[in-house]
Amino acid sequence: MSSAPLLAVADDPPVSLWRDAWGRLIRNRLAVAGLVMVLVLAFAAAFGPMLTPYDFLSQNLDARNAGPSLVHLFGTDDLGRDVFSRVLYGTRTAFVVAIVVTALAVTIGVTLGATAGFFGGLFDRIIMWFTDMTMSVPNLLLVVVINASLKAPLSQWMETQYLATLNPFFRETIWIDFLLVFGSMALIAWPPYARLVRAQVLSIRSRPYITAARALGLTNRIILTRYVVPNAIGPLIVSVSAGLGTAMVLESAFSFLGVGVNPPTPSWGNMISDGLRVWQHYPHLLAVPAIVLGLATVAFSFLGDGLNDALNPRGSK
Amino acid sequence: MSETLLEVKDLTIEIATRRGPATVVDGIDLHVGKGETLGIVGESGCGKSLTMLSLLKLLPNKIRVAGGSAMFGGRDLLTLNNKELRAIRGGRIGFVFQDPMTSLNPVMRIGDQLAEPLIHHRAMSKAAARQRAGELLKLVGIPGAEQRLDAYPHELSGGMRQRVMIAIGLACDPDLLIADEPTTALDVTIQAQIVDLVKGLRQRLGMSVVWITHDLALIAGLADRICVLYAGTVVEDAPVDQLFAEPAHPYTRGLLASIPRMGAPDSARLSSIGGTPPEPGRRPAGCPFAPRCPLAEDVCRTTVPALAPLRGEATPHRVACHVANRVMEAA
Ligand SMILES: Nc1ncnc2c1ncn2[C@@H]1O[C@H](COP(=O)(O)OP(=O)(O)O)[C@@H](O)[C@H]1O
Ligand SMILES: [Mg+2]
Repeated sequence: MSSAPLLAVADDPPVSLWRDAWGRLIRNRLAVAGLVMVLVLAFAAAFGPMLTPYDFLSQNLDARNAGPSLVHLFGTDDLGRDVFSRVLYGTRTAFVVAIVVTALAVTIGVTLGATAGFFGGLFDRIIMWFTDMTMSVPNLLLVVVINASLKAPLSQWMETQYLATLNPFFRETIWIDFLLVFGSMALIAWPPYARLVRAQVLSIRSRPYITAARALGLTNRIILTRYVVPNAIGPLIVSVSAGLGTAMVLESAFSFLGVGVNPPTPSWGNMISDGLRVWQHYPHLLAVPAIVLGLATVAFSFLGDGLNDALNPRGSK
Repeated sequence: MSETLLEVKDLTIEIATRRGPATVVDGIDLHVGKGETLGIVGESGCGKSLTMLSLLKLLPNKIRVAGGSAMFGGRDLLTLNNKELRAIRGGRIGFVFQDPMTSLNPVMRIGDQLAEPLIHHRAMSKAAARQRAGELLKLVGIPGAEQRLDAYPHELSGGMRQRVMIAIGLACDPDLLIADEPTTALDVTIQAQIVDLVKGLRQRLGMSVVWITHDLALIAGLADRICVLYAGTVVEDAPVDQLFAEPAHPYTRGLLASIPRMGAPDSARLSSIGGTPPEPGRRPAGCPFAPRCPLAEDVCRTTVPALAPLRGEATPHRVACHVANRVMEAA
């Protein structure tokens, strides 16, 4: 038996799926612009605070509300703090919040969406009902309600715990902030992931390779984690990229409403809300954080669109 | 072929439709001996795939087994629970699907897909499974097997992918390999290579094979026995030589007549049997083939013929036709 014709490799060159996608991504100018901006911001978040000569808290009451200059690149605020340093630190806050919140939301969304789509039936209906319910509550209302109703009792509980155990952990009210901010943002952010993943899983579930995997006697868990989810991941990556930008906007909106990361921790939202009070006199205090936030959102959305095209070769051809 | 490995009795499968359940597989009887290769032939839509999928509870939504049994190794497959089924699937029964382009996980390396059943059924370590995966690729004749372990499915040609599918089906030394039109999606030259491959492996591994096809000519050299399916029923079941020597059912004769000969125009292929099979839910009262049958009589339109030995003799050649013996004489 001659196997010569079998040697012929099919039309595609031997390039892995991801390298293929990467090739398409870097040929897309907007995507590259987005990627570069995201990398710059990520670098700023990681190392920025070490690179500025000023501490984000150190006040210089002799140089309050100073405009941009060589000494203070973006000027100073009403307490004489260096705006550039604060924006850099705010970038870190934005990334931490965005990453933690998105990670939480994706975990919840993927778990619920994948199980709903894979198992279907009553399971699916209950999960999707829950998802729709969550989605139908206005975001900001949800957050304000959570903050208003949980913050006081939680602080109370921490206080009691501290008095009972004298464990210093319970004295740090910052944990409540984190829990409430991250928790409530994740609560808002997970339903779209659940829906997306469910739709993906529903379409993948009926593909022949899933039947083939079942015919191999693999467990549902293996089929779900090794066959279904990896094939559903492309659109998820796209949506996560855009979601990171959205989470940054959300964090700013929360800070703006006073339910986000608490001062004095610098966040873009805090700075915007402070700047808004004095923007007629010191426009740079509003402009700088607002522009940075805008750039970050645009960067993530360019990158998301680029990933979308890169990961769906058929859609973009 | 003394000992029976798989015995399907009176298998009935229904599809839920808006107008209620429609029967697509209507009382199929099949048996496969140890080491035997059974060819199942029938035109597209006659229920070949559903029959095989039902054995391992792999039927799609809204399609269910309405009755019958499938004894395999002393147990009825149709009554197993999920855990027992998982041990049989891929472990004692290997499955090879029709379309190698879509039946492999596109984002998983070939080696990992081969290793998965080994890790699951044989509790092999990753390293051992990988080594065995390399051996399996060699077994199915993939050149440069070791290097191919890290390839993704889209890096292989269709024929190669089907070899990989076969290797996966064989991974755990199954007693039975079910191949559902494994060559339909492939070029003719490659079809022959795959048939040769399975022929060689079957002997080497001593397994039974059920090979589904709509191409009688393709399995003539592979099968020991052939079952002809029409509209979800077995119309004829005979050792391959007898089937070709004296096909008894008018449908089988039509199929044989439609095998293209050298030089015959392609159109001759389809013209030999006029009409189309009944749709599920619109089965005629009597013999399902009667509306298309040139020899149909009144009894054919009212009574379903039973699958019985030809001429009432003690022969493995069975046919479900009221007028079969007369057909034979006409030949
Ligand atoms: N998923 C499905 N949903 C509805 N009907 C189906 C489905 N799969 C198969 N059928 C119907 O069942 C019948 C038998 O199908 P199948 O066993 O796939 O045929 P074969 O494999 O012989 O070509 C066909 O008439 C087909 O229309
Ligand atoms: Mg089929």
